[in-house]
Amino acid sequence: MTFRAIAAGVAASILAASAASAHHSFAAGFDGEKQITLTGTVASVEWTNPHIHFSIDVTGDNGTVTQWRFEGYPPNMLVRQGWRRDVTLKPGDTVTVFGWMARDEPNLGAARHVTLADGRKLAAGPPAGTGGR
Amino acid sequence: MSGHARARSSCAAAAMLALLAAAAEAQPDGAARREAPPVPRTADGKADLSGIWIATGALLLMEGEEALQAARDADAAAGRAPQPPPEPLPYTPEADATRQQYLARLGIDDPMARCLLTGVPRISFRPLPFEIVQLPERVIILYEIHHAFRIIPTDGRGHPEDMEPSYLGDSVGHWDGDTLVVDVTGFNEDTWLTGVGTVHSDQLRVTERYTRDTFDTIRYEVTLEDPEVFTKAWHVYETFRLRPNERIREYECIQSNEDLQRFERMLKDGSLE
Repeated sequence: MTFRAIAAGVAASILAASAASAHHSFAAGFDGEKQITLTGTVASVEWTNPHIHFSIDVTGDNGTVTQWRFEGYPPNMLVRQGWRRDVTLKPGDTVTVFGWMARDEPNLGAARHVTLADGRKLAAGPPAGTGGR
Repeated sequence: MSGHARARSSCAAAAMLALLAAAAEAQPDGAARREAPPVPRTADGKADLSGIWIATGALLLMEGEEALQAARDADAAAGRAPQPPPEPLPYTPEADATRQQYLARLGIDDPMARCLLTGVPRISFRPLPFEIVQLPERVIILYEIHHAFRIIPTDGRGHPEDMEPSYLGDSVGHWDGDTLVVDVTGFNEDTWLTGVGTVHSDQLRVTERYTRDTFDTIRYEVTLEDPEVFTKAWHVYETFRLRPNERIREYECIQSNEDLQRFERMLKDGSLE
């Protein structure tokens, strides 16, 4: 199955409220109770502040392709964790993204981890619940 | 020295090394003893705060939970006094009601999400590093976030008479032994102190204390006073960690900030309910 969206009713683990956010609190845009895991092909990468965004094309069980867009850390935080612009994530790559759904847009998410085709799992954005401080 | 004497001497040296090794292994925490460099000093004898630093709490986002725990373990192994527990906000009922309104709106009103300069002390806790440059008569802090900076005179001058209310306020410093004490006032009312809804008035006064207590750490102790929102002084504590292989990079927040449009949509379509 290449399309797997889990809108879990399980409350996300709320980490220490004192954890810093890079730009805004997680809850301002995303629902920590709606986990999502998607595998797809990278369509585009926007390597910009205050967040990177990337889109992946996800093929559903019936063959329908849906494009999902994800928000992540700013480039400086990703670079410090080993990401490289135009190298780590680029159009055509097959990736699996774990994150949470946006509150207001059906095909937008906050990426927490990206698993690359070679198996590497990279932090892409903050844990749910961060941003209290 | 005869052959026997050399042999006895080698045996004695070996025995001494073994004893020292055993003593090192017998540290209560079981950690190998690491000879940390001493706290560096400037030519005028002051503890030198210069370097690139980041708040310990920011390690959660920078490197993950394991790195955060490792930092706390390193502090314990180094014998640093534990950080005081967080203090509850001593808000007046009115200020607390305002904060609760902001919390109910999930933080969409955050000035930081609008790419406005983050105030003091909140700017110190961001998951992007900052560089302290210590000079004989001033200390300069260069923050990666917002590409912001503070110039803190330490030559005895006071706050200027023509202060305009500002996001970062006006800072003047002095040395209390090895501690840099910074008095910050002259704030506007457009920043939050730490987290969502931590409002303040233009009567805010912040006193920061920076103490480089080990080579790798600065103890950061903050006292916040604001008669308009607090019933008593509020204290905030953090440890800054040296980032020896780091450099300050450019960070232009407003480059592609889509959050404002999203928050507007959320207000209209009921996503906050």
